[in-house]
Amino acid sequence: MRALAREALALVCAMILIVCARDAAAQRTVTVWHPYRGAEQQAFDQVLQAFERAHPGVSVTTLAVPFDAYAAKLEAAIPRGNGPDLFVDAHERIPSYLARRIITSADTAIARVGSDLEPIALEAVQSGSERYGVPLALKCLALFVDEELWERAGRPSLDSLESIARARAALPPSAYPLVYYASNAYFHSAIVHALGGQLFDPQRGTYAFDGSPAIESLTFVQRLLADRVIPPEVDGASVTPYFRSGRAMTVISGPWLVGELGGGRRYRVVVLPRVRDGGRVMSPFVTVEVAFLASNARAPELANELAAYLASPAAARVRATVGRQVVATQSVWSEPELANDAVLAAFRRAASRGRVMPTHNNMRLSWEPANQAIRRALRDPRATRVAIDQGRRRYEDASRPLPAKRSPLPLQLALGLIALAIALRSVQRARDPDFRAAVKRSMPAYAYVTHAVVIVALLVVLPLVLGATTSLYAGRDGALEYVGGANYWDIITARGGSLFASGTFYAVLLVTVLWTVANLALHVSIGVVLALVLSRPLLKLRAVYRVLLIIPWAVPSYVTALAWKGIFHRQTGAMNAILSSLGVEPISWFAQFSTAFAANVVTNTWLGFPFMMVVTIGALAAIPKDLYEAAEVDGATPWQQFRHITLPLLRPTLLPAVSMGAVWTFNQFNVIFLVSGGEPDGATEILVTEAYRWAFTRQAQYGYAAAYAVLIFGVLVLGTRLLERLTLGKQGGSK
Amino acid sequence: MATLSLRTIRKVLGANAILKGIDLDVQSGEFVVLVGPSGCGKSTLLRTIAGLETPDEGSIKLDDRDVTRAEPRERDIAMVFQSYALYPHLTVRDNLAFGLRLRGESEATVKSRVEEVSQMLGLGALLDRLPKDMSGGQRQRVAMGRAIARRPKLFLFDEPLSNLDAALRNQVRVEIKKLHASLGATMIYVTHDQVEAMTLADQLVVLNSGKVEQKGPPLEVYARPASRFVAGFLGSPSMNFTDAVVSDDSTSAVAEGLRAPIDRQRFGAIERGRKVVVGIRPHDVTVRKGESSAHGYRDGATPTEITVAVDVVEAMGFEAYAHGPVGGAPFVARVEGAADALPRRGDRLALSVEPAHVHLFDPETGRSLAGAP
Ligand SMILES: Nc1ncnc2c1ncn2[C@@H]1O[C@H](COP(=O)(O)OP(=O)(O)O)[C@@H](O)[C@H]1O
Ligand SMILES: [Mg+2]
Repeated sequence: MRALAREALALVCAMILIVCARDAAAQRTVTVWHPYRGAEQQAFDQVLQAFERAHPGVSVTTLAVPFDAYAAKLEAAIPRGNGPDLFVDAHERIPSYLARRIITSADTAIARVGSDLEPIALEAVQSGSERYGVPLALKCLALFVDEELWERAGRPSLDSLESIARARAALPPSAYPLVYYASNAYFHSAIVHALGGQLFDPQRGTYAFDGSPAIESLTFVQRLLADRVIPPEVDGASVTPYFRSGRAMTVISGPWLVGELGGGRRYRVVVLPRVRDGGRVMSPFVTVEVAFLASNARAPELANELAAYLASPAAARVRATVGRQVVATQSVWSEPELANDAVLAAFRRAASRGRVMPTHNNMRLSWEPANQAIRRALRDPRATRVAIDQGRRRYEDASRPLPAKRSPLPLQLALGLIALAIALRSVQRARDPDFRAAVKRSMPAYAYVTHAVVIVALLVVLPLVLGATTSLYAGRDGALEYVGGANYWDIITARGGSLFASGTFYAVLLVTVLWTVANLALHVSIGVVLALVLSRPLLKLRAVYRVLLIIPWAVPSYVTALAWKGIFHRQTGAMNAILSSLGVEPISWFAQFSTAFAANVVTNTWLGFPFMMVVTIGALAAIPKDLYEAAEVDGATPWQQFRHITLPLLRPTLLPAVSMGAVWTFNQFNVIFLVSGGEPDGATEILVTEAYRWAFTRQAQYGYAAAYAVLIFGVLVLGTRLLERLTLGKQGGSK
Repeated sequence: MATLSLRTIRKVLGANAILKGIDLDVQSGEFVVLVGPSGCGKSTLLRTIAGLETPDEGSIKLDDRDVTRAEPRERDIAMVFQSYALYPHLTVRDNLAFGLRLRGESEATVKSRVEEVSQMLGLGALLDRLPKDMSGGQRQRVAMGRAIARRPKLFLFDEPLSNLDAALRNQVRVEIKKLHASLGATMIYVTHDQVEAMTLADQLVVLNSGKVEQKGPPLEVYARPASRFVAGFLGSPSMNFTDAVVSDDSTSAVAEGLRAPIDRQRFGAIERGRKVVVGIRPHDVTVRKGESSAHGYRDGATPTEITVAVDVVEAMGFEAYAHGPVGGAPFVARVEGAADALPRRGDRLALSVEPAHVHLFDPETGRSLAGAP
């Protein structure tokens, strides 16, 4: 006992020491988070080491955070006091970070750097009267030119997209004059800007991909596609292979492409061209990379000093030469080493012609509607106007004013009354001696079930209640306010629009029901047929077939889903390869509802039939053989035996399997999300994936998404009840 | 009603020859019982008749139509299974109607037939129950009803009573007999129970390992078994068998404690000194009271036909079975009498037997030595 006490004392002392030491160290430590990788990370680390050398007694702790989780981590860590003192991120996030109060003014740090920073970058970090964050680098699109193809095409002028397009005739059919991610709004916006339009109006803070510049820009790209100036269906990832394999004379891309190209091809980088001969030049969005000073910092002084240092010429030089960044520090560009770097210089020039990415909150809401409008218009030129209108409607939908804040008082009152009633009732019962005796008697039983109840409450009931509660709140970016049933009202009334317009709850519900029914019909029929075949005693190698057919079930569903997505790829997929070997034109599987839906169903059927098959094999084995013999003697043909013996006797086993399958399919997120991704235009979206979009791609409208989830829950409860009722009714006299 | 004739039916299942050339003729309206020990091929034969198995060899004719290769549904035969094989998802009513509906009978016909059958078998109160909600006896009845409702040409029963308790078995047995009388249908009934066999059959067919041992009216088969197997199989307790030798004057078969008179009319002249197996049923002996020892069973001087040194007595109340060795083989004798007048262990019993009740079998082949009657 005494030994134990001594050890405990020692432990406590040690802990106190550690805490004190940490506090002491914190005086001289500055913590930095960044999303860099590769050369940029290397350069950044070099700079930080130089800072440490220049400041004896100071140590810099760095953490490279993967890009996708970056903002969420910052938002979680900084308010709790365990975030960084300084972090690097894009300037567009300023409003959102300000709203969450995780950054502070950087005016002092900027003052230390002096007037050496690019004006366009300083403009980007301005919010109100203050500037938030020290600009470090600029990122935007430029034109990469493959020297060899360019020469082969007779050195055409790169002055406009029109002149580039004219190189078509001079290039082999497999090569294209221009390759870029045409269906993406970020890329397309450069063309829109050149034609006098814009994606987003930063002054008014609204969506602006509208009117004649939008139509003109889309018509222009449609022409490029029709004339085979650009290849169809290029996405962000397929640009690099085109360029590396020498099938793209020019490519529109950002500085990241430099790292991906390596030394394989001879190329140069120039500013983006005009769109039309003699017209205005393309103007890309410019993103400024910023060193933010975190609020709640443990070493604010040091962070300030470090931020200024990062923008200093000494640090900028390293970031530019080693990290290949287009640094925002002007003075270093006159140094010979950088002045002669053609690639960096080109990007710098490109940035100077660009326009700063608006920081308005609604900017981020514009991407998805604009992307969908562009995709639809490029797929179907006749629908250009419709696509543009649809884009605007989607934007309005996503940016609609939040429901009015309500007082939670009525709800609290109701809950309070209920709680009171329960409490009164309990007190009443507790007075009853019989009840007390009963409770006492069943005490041992409670001991047995307590842990199960606690676990179920924590894992099932609590999330359900929290989800349901969230659905009574509304807000974007996680800033939630109580609005009562407004989310439900909005969903159920389709926000006043037509009930079955695309994207409404009812339209998506219809697709979901269709999806569920189609899948179950296929799962059950294929599963039962295979089970019947595999249950024939005469079949050889039965066991082998059974194992083979269960494999689709054993593979994780996302792996299968990705594999099938590949199979349905327009250019490289096996499905089109088979079709074309049969002489059928390749199909753009995800370009129309019918084929996209079919691709989803095929994938999910592949995933789903083994379960039904296994269940059926088990149920078949349980049917006594002499029933078939009795039926045979009674005069039943094989089909009648199946119809009157097999089917009715499979039913009790299949019914629970079918209702389970219905729930799984109804909520089959993986397949929809990974195979069609809701394409075309969200038409194949089902309720769960739609809820996901509200929560995670439309500015984190968690309340709205939660209301969706609660409605899904309700639909499922009703649906399974109905299924039960229907099938029990059919079973006649059985109980 | 129909006639059935089987010719040299052979069937091999797996590696075993199960039916080894069966010939059988069933007259219209006849009740034929196939009897034999478990595993002798009775069910296989029945299933072959129903069409559930196809014979490897031989032919089956139903009403002069060759149905050897016909599907079961083309034969118009009904079968009552040992397990009843009621359709578990159908009510009694639907079970009864199943075959009729498959045959496309009108609903009116179906209804009246179901009505008729349920009256006949007293199923009225059960019509809306499922099989799982009934007792074994009730299920058995439904299984029979299902067969009857179809009015088939031929009924097949595969040990239909073997899952019932003894009391119920006796009751249903009588009902089946009545049913046959009232329907006048042709029936083939399989059992391993000799009581059922004896009481039900118009014609008894005794099967032994895939072959017909003997067929004929049950009492005749009982009285004149054609083989030691048949003799031993029918009757309870079983017939006593003793190895013996034909006496010098050929009038009796002799062994230690046994001198059995030979019926010359049945067996003709048997050469003296020939080895035979003597078969005597326990019921066919009479105690010669004056000559038996103890309790009035006196040891007499005159030579008795059978002498048993009793070592076990099973008293049944109205009769008793006395066990003891005769000629080196166990012997059982039925003794009548009140409880206090029964023999006891250690008694010597003097028994006599009528020549007509003495059966002689060839020790090698087991066939009866009787000439054709
Ligand atoms: N499918 C089969 N394969 C091999 N042997 C079988 C098969 N079915 C039955 N047997 C054998 O055939 C013999 C006769 O069976 P069965 O006709 O059912 O006898 P029982 O007279 O008891 O009804 C038994 O020995 C049984 O083991
Ligand atoms: Mg049997």
